[in-house]
Amino acid sequence: MSDEFIIECENVKFSYPASEVPALNGVSFNIKRGEFVSVIGHNGSGKSTLARLINGLLEADEGKISVFGMDVSERKNVLEIRKRVGIVFQNPDNQMVASIVEDDVAFGPENIGISREEIGERIDWALEAVGMTKYRNATPARLSGGQKQRIAVAGVLAIRPDVLILDESTAMLDPKGRREVVKVVKRLNEEEGMTIILITHFMEEALLADRTIVMNRGEIALCGTPDEIFENGEILETFNLSLPRISVIAGLLRSGGMNVSNVLRAEELAEEINANFRLKGISAGQSSKRASTTVSSSHEWDIDVSDLTYTYSRKSPFASKALDGVDLHIDEGEFFGIIGHTGSGKSTLIQHLNALIKLPTAEKKYRAKKVKKGQPQLVFPRISVGQFDLSNKKCDFKALRASVGMVFQYPEYQLFAESVFTDVAFGLKNFNKKLSAEEIEAAVKSSLEIVGLDYAEVKDKSPFDLSGGQKRRVAIAGVIVTKPEILILDEPAAGLDPKGKNEIMELLHKLHREWCKTVIIVSHDMDEVADNCTRACVIADGKVFAVGQPAEIFARAEELESLGLDIPLTAKIASKLSENGIIIDSDCTVEDFAAKVTEVYKGGKDA
Amino acid sequence: MLNDVTFGQYYPTQSFVHRLDPRIKILALITFIVLLFVADNFYSLFAVALIAMLAIAFSRVPIKSVLRSIKGILVILIFTAVLNLFFHKGEHLLAEWWIFRIYTESIIFTVFFVLRLFFLVMISSVLTLTTTPVSLTDGIESLLKPLTYIKFPVHELALIMSIALRFIPTLIDETNRIISAQKARGADFESGNIFKRIKAIVPILIPLLISAFRRADELGDAMDARCYSGSKIRTKYKKLKFGWRDLVAFFFVAALIAGVVLLNIYCEQIFPLIAEYIKVR
Repeated sequence: MSDEFIIECENVKFSYPASEVPALNGVSFNIKRGEFVSVIGHNGSGKSTLARLINGLLEADEGKISVFGMDVSERKNVLEIRKRVGIVFQNPDNQMVASIVEDDVAFGPENIGISREEIGERIDWALEAVGMTKYRNATPARLSGGQKQRIAVAGVLAIRPDVLILDESTAMLDPKGRREVVKVVKRLNEEEGMTIILITHFMEEALLADRTIVMNRGEIALCGTPDEIFENGEILETFNLSLPRISVIAGLLRSGGMNVSNVLRAEELAEEINANFRLKGISAGQSSKRASTTVSSSHEWDIDVSDLTYTYSRKSPFASKALDGVDLHIDEGEFFGIIGHTGSGKSTLIQHLNALIKLPTAEKKYRAKKVKKGQPQLVFPRISVGQFDLSNKKCDFKALRASVGMVFQYPEYQLFAESVFTDVAFGLKNFNKKLSAEEIEAAVKSSLEIVGLDYAEVKDKSPFDLSGGQKRRVAIAGVIVTKPEILILDEPAAGLDPKGKNEIMELLHKLHREWCKTVIIVSHDMDEVADNCTRACVIADGKVFAVGQPAEIFARAEELESLGLDIPLTAKIASKLSENGIIIDSDCTVEDFAAKVTEVYKGGKDA
Repeated sequence: MLNDVTFGQYYPTQSFVHRLDPRIKILALITFIVLLFVADNFYSLFAVALIAMLAIAFSRVPIKSVLRSIKGILVILIFTAVLNLFFHKGEHLLAEWWIFRIYTESIIFTVFFVLRLFFLVMISSVLTLTTTPVSLTDGIESLLKPLTYIKFPVHELALIMSIALRFIPTLIDETNRIISAQKARGADFESGNIFKRIKAIVPILIPLLISAFRRADELGDAMDARCYSGSKIRTKYKKLKFGWRDLVAFFFVAALIAGVVLLNIYCEQIFPLIAEYIKVR
């Protein structure tokens, strides 16, 4: 690593035309060649603006940015700068210009007038670098999120930049896709010596860098190595960020009297805990059993799914089986998690629960065929939700949908009305046409208030003028306005910063306590499931792979990892500890885990 | 439900016609259409039809898929055929009833008309069935290239087409998602009169439009960041290659032109024969 600064920013200020608050308010920093810098910050802290300024997509109001000694504000430099500084954006779908992978990768080099032969070589190299060589002639539409994003990285690499900026490029991916992309980036930095600027919401990713910049309200709040940043972690929370979970655990253990330092990997922390135990002569131990969770005894709103099989595009050459013999029972009163990565069939499953996808027996066209002798009896899938029998075509599907609320992924993209009030009232009016204006107003008001918005302030605003987090709240309010008995949410916290995530989860718990009987969340964040759910199931390849309390599921760590799924950090450390004979039986939440470890530690002292 | 199906009509298989250069296919299609209307006797029309049949046979696309394209124009085809049959004026009156008069010429005219339209649609669908939208775009761009000399933005046009093609599946997915989400909020798209149904589309259309604009905005940034400037230095990675198959197809088309012209000239006297035959009956 040379000491040459390749990107220099000096007192950069920038405001978007429509906004009064500056997006960047005097930012200065330098980046060296070959450095790996991570940038973290809450939604709207100015991280993405920064990336766009460096690349010349936006022009600074004040201050100076120079890239490889070229001034970004001079238009003649912009093309040369873009050749040397590539950006990969958040949504892989919105970065692709062509319908075939190699054509898309060729787009960049074509633009800068590279000869045909060399473009071919660059495609080979770029696809090799991201590990997508065998998808050269594939259609992006058929790839997974992680694969698409790697193609987007390849498309930028083919221009052969010196610096690669990832602008929240992992935010929309599942953990598997995220790992794929991060691995590629890390390798490019280490082996090709490429300078990396990684903008992210995931504290765990920020840890990979040589240096971390923390942004807060358009200013650089902190800057230093990840160790330094996460050392004094409490301050991060004032910037709407969170500590990485591992630092939280270490902190809790320290306050429990153990001597652990701020390490950044599960194995290291397990090693430190073991060292503590060894020092006190504890070679084996077992924590107390975890408290078993109990749920409400009423079974009026149980969900029962049996033999559910579903195939997309039946009878066409593109038929694909999304669900394959799913049996599942969810009790009333549960906070249930459905885990699985993209394409596992979890979305298909939840869409059955409020009859957005109807069972074949409930479709009007369906006629049962007579079963011939000697052939096995056809098994029909059955689903019942409370008193609704979804396989009966006379079932009142509208009433069902009023009782089973469904919040889709990125629900803010479904807002449509001219005011927040009309949008929230939309569902209510659909389900019950006889409501008086006062009743509607009261319901909308209470619904907006429960999601934490000020009714008087937002009701007449256009939903499109709100911030991202507020839009999501409005969208959720539009579903819970009918007070559904069961609420299903697909990735409710996706794309939010750590504070936003916590707020959404708190909101769900509040609903669950107050009137919503059952909450079901679909998630690929294992820590989220471990922290919030009473029970969970894992869906893989259209089948139920495991069902039970989070701790029971995460005990099968190796199998989950073979499915490409993560396990929560606590489960990772616990499995390392168990190799040394220390059994920690926690419910996988950070607090319980730390308490159990301390208990064993203290127990050792007494013995 | 619309879902992950390759859009357009493309029928994925390997065949002689599939592997042809899209340019030769487009040119052949144009030639074919012109010839359909040049052919003015049954022999030349038969020659054109035979070539169409051969093209379908060599494309290895099941005849059912090809015929499916006829379905779309069937109503128009029958309607105009009937009109022609009853109202086309001729010399040899065959039958008369109320205002309807059927002439020998109108029968012949109608048969020609139906056959021409039938083969026109058949052969056009052979093109779309055997050519991916992407290579079709490439072909069109390459064929339009001479127009750049009169400052026609050929490259931009091709890029717009290919981006549109690229985003069709994405937007179909998006539409499905929005429909599901609004259905979950009790929206009803299946009942009510026409006005109610049009009104019911608003909650789908607005989010879809907003999302399309957002995507366009992000795509614009991504293209800028990848050095797109629409400048003249831009090169092209994929070059269409003219191979032996294309040469074969080229001679085939040339032979077709010659054949039809010759048949048109030398077989003209056969036409009155048929006319007379019908008249005698």
